[in-house]
Amino acid sequence: MPGAGGATPLAPGIAAALRGAYRSDWARVVATLIRVTGDWDVAEEAAAGAFERAAQTWPRDGVPRNPGAWLTIAARNLALDRLRRRGVEADKVGEWMAMQEAIGGADGPPDPADVVADEEPAWDDRLRLVFTCAHPALPMESRVALTLRTVGGLDTGEIARAFHVPEPTMGQRISRAKRKIRHAGIPYRVPAADLLPERVEGVLAVLYLIANEGYLASHGDELQRLDLAAEAIRLTRLLVALMPDADEARALLALMLLQHARSAARIDAAGDLVPLPEQDRTTWDAGEIEEGLALLSTAAIPTREPGPPQAGPYRLQAEIQAVHARARSAVETDWPAIVARYDALSMFADSPFVALNRAIARGMAFGPQAGLDDLALLEASGRLDGYHLLPAAQADLLRRQGEADAAAARYRDAIALARTAPERRFLERRLAELPGP
Amino acid sequence: MEYALFYAEGADALPYAPADDNVGEWVDDVEARGVSEYGERLRPAQDATTVRVRGGEVLVVDGPFTESKESIGGFDVIDVRDLDEAIEVASRHPVASFGRVEIRPFVRWPDADPDSRIVPAGFAERPVRGRRYLLLVVVEPGGERAPAGGDRAEDDGPEAWVREMDGRGVRLFGEVLRGPADATFVRRRHDEVLVTDGGFAEAKEWVAGFDLIEVQGGLAEAIEVASKHPMARGGAIELRPLWPFDVHEDHVARTEREAADLGRRLEPAAAVAAAGSER
Repeated sequence: MPGAGGATPLAPGIAAALRGAYRSDWARVVATLIRVTGDWDVAEEAAAGAFERAAQTWPRDGVPRNPGAWLTIAARNLALDRLRRRGVEADKVGEWMAMQEAIGGADGPPDPADVVADEEPAWDDRLRLVFTCAHPALPMESRVALTLRTVGGLDTGEIARAFHVPEPTMGQRISRAKRKIRHAGIPYRVPAADLLPERVEGVLAVLYLIANEGYLASHGDELQRLDLAAEAIRLTRLLVALMPDADEARALLALMLLQHARSAARIDAAGDLVPLPEQDRTTWDAGEIEEGLALLSTAAIPTREPGPPQAGPYRLQAEIQAVHARARSAVETDWPAIVARYDALSMFADSPFVALNRAIARGMAFGPQAGLDDLALLEASGRLDGYHLLPAAQADLLRRQGEADAAAARYRDAIALARTAPERRFLERRLAELPGP
Repeated sequence: MEYALFYAEGADALPYAPADDNVGEWVDDVEARGVSEYGERLRPAQDATTVRVRGGEVLVVDGPFTESKESIGGFDVIDVRDLDEAIEVASRHPVASFGRVEIRPFVRWPDADPDSRIVPAGFAERPVRGRRYLLLVVVEPGGERAPAGGDRAEDDGPEAWVREMDGRGVRLFGEVLRGPADATFVRRRHDEVLVTDGGFAEAKEWVAGFDLIEVQGGLAEAIEVASKHPMARGGAIELRPLWPFDVHEDHVARTEREAADLGRRLEPAAAVAAAGSER
């Protein structure tokens, strides 16, 4: 966690309490302060200051009974000082004072979210924050960065490293997004009911992107970035907790957990990729699989409209992962069930990536030729030109069909296009394993 | 919060279908809700006149500052709660269904009277006393000074020009817009509202503000007024005559009637008008 931890090392108990508070309360503290001050920078600085203060005083005074409330009040005081020094309008400071009094009168520090009267008291401040960070008027890359920074509490350097951009670039991206929020009047509010479905979709898209970047790094030496994947799970868990009725959010969390459950099995000791059929399924994280499957069984909430419940795209993807998770071995995989879900997915979006996966699944379910025929069409469309997984998929199906020469040619194409070192090494290994002429 | 809405075709425009044009309903709705300050249609791009001053010389050309698909076809000034309400208002405008609406916030000056509005109260009732042009202030490369950002008043900012034109009764209202990074595009396709970030980094030229002017001397006077604006040196000034129409009339009939003038410049040739202004 940035900012915390002084020159002297903290006692392990205190350090753990600080880390825990940072994980669980950063977003709440920032979110509450943004609402009250209307100033993102003041809110973040004050929140960071509160954690610094905690690192100084908790070792001496002990961890407070309610660390979240302690941190929020400390951050408020810091923000109040800062606003006063800046000579901000008296009424705003007055509002603060009233709030401080309300808190002082209670028995111990209550949850600030309960104290401050608001037009939408049912909504958690963090939910406002999530929707504002994922507002469609911001460029997608800024939404991702701002969500990680403000909701996730990652510092700019961490986000910059995760996306392989220089830190100043990432800093500019984040501050530009904050400027747009202020100047363009992007509301700090949970959208109205009629807007909610499409805006939730927007939030899920941001979380999905973070998870995907974590699951399969788009470049670099590491195949997976567990920090981002774990971060996406944490943020999606938060969204699910805040919006328990959002089925697609639950499905997205299930999808992330089911994929994350395999992260240890995906990489061998040498850092090389282990494809699904060869993975040691006993190393899959049983807890994450169980949680993912449980989320899926409760995500099937009956729709209010008559007719069969329509599974959303995240649910379909999660169900595909669930089929894998339930198969005790690779050969026991229910490929026709997977094909059915890719069929449904392709109705949602005309995506070449869905088409690619559907072709692979059809090859596994109905024989390599079925998949190769689909892949030939996809290749002819030119929509995946330059994408290494297209020749890699062709190579794999050709290998299964026993066409070693054709497979070798496609492996070489894929190797030339592969974007991460582990993927390249995996493809080279496959090429070397082909039976010779 | 006040916003300018600019209507344009945009790169992915669909053909205009006059039978689907419900702009009358839209106007009735925004007026009933009290969110509309003022709005007008503009004469098409061929009636635009672009004025630049380089090396002390006034350069006037027929046509808009940018290629026609991006060229502004009309505008509104609205006063709404926040960007979400602006998006909602913009998304229901008929242009959103075939072209795109650009939402631009105005620069909010720290010393501004919080009750003041971009469009003066009662403006809609003010009788028209001359020829009205929308004067678009354009930032573009090649200007003779640093382009004006949205944030700061410049030493050679437009204050003197505003004072002069207000004094002459030429300038009716106007304001500086925040830069393209704070813009938002709204389109409606297949009944879905598409919201995108309007600030593309590669934009080299953009509208940085506008004024509505009213002149007695036609295009010649409008050119003279534009040439005095400091941004005629720093960038370009585009003059667009207003093109009022009855929003409640039958748009199929209107479109047929107007078809005769389509593609024809009704304004005097810029060179002729400019020569007139020097006389």
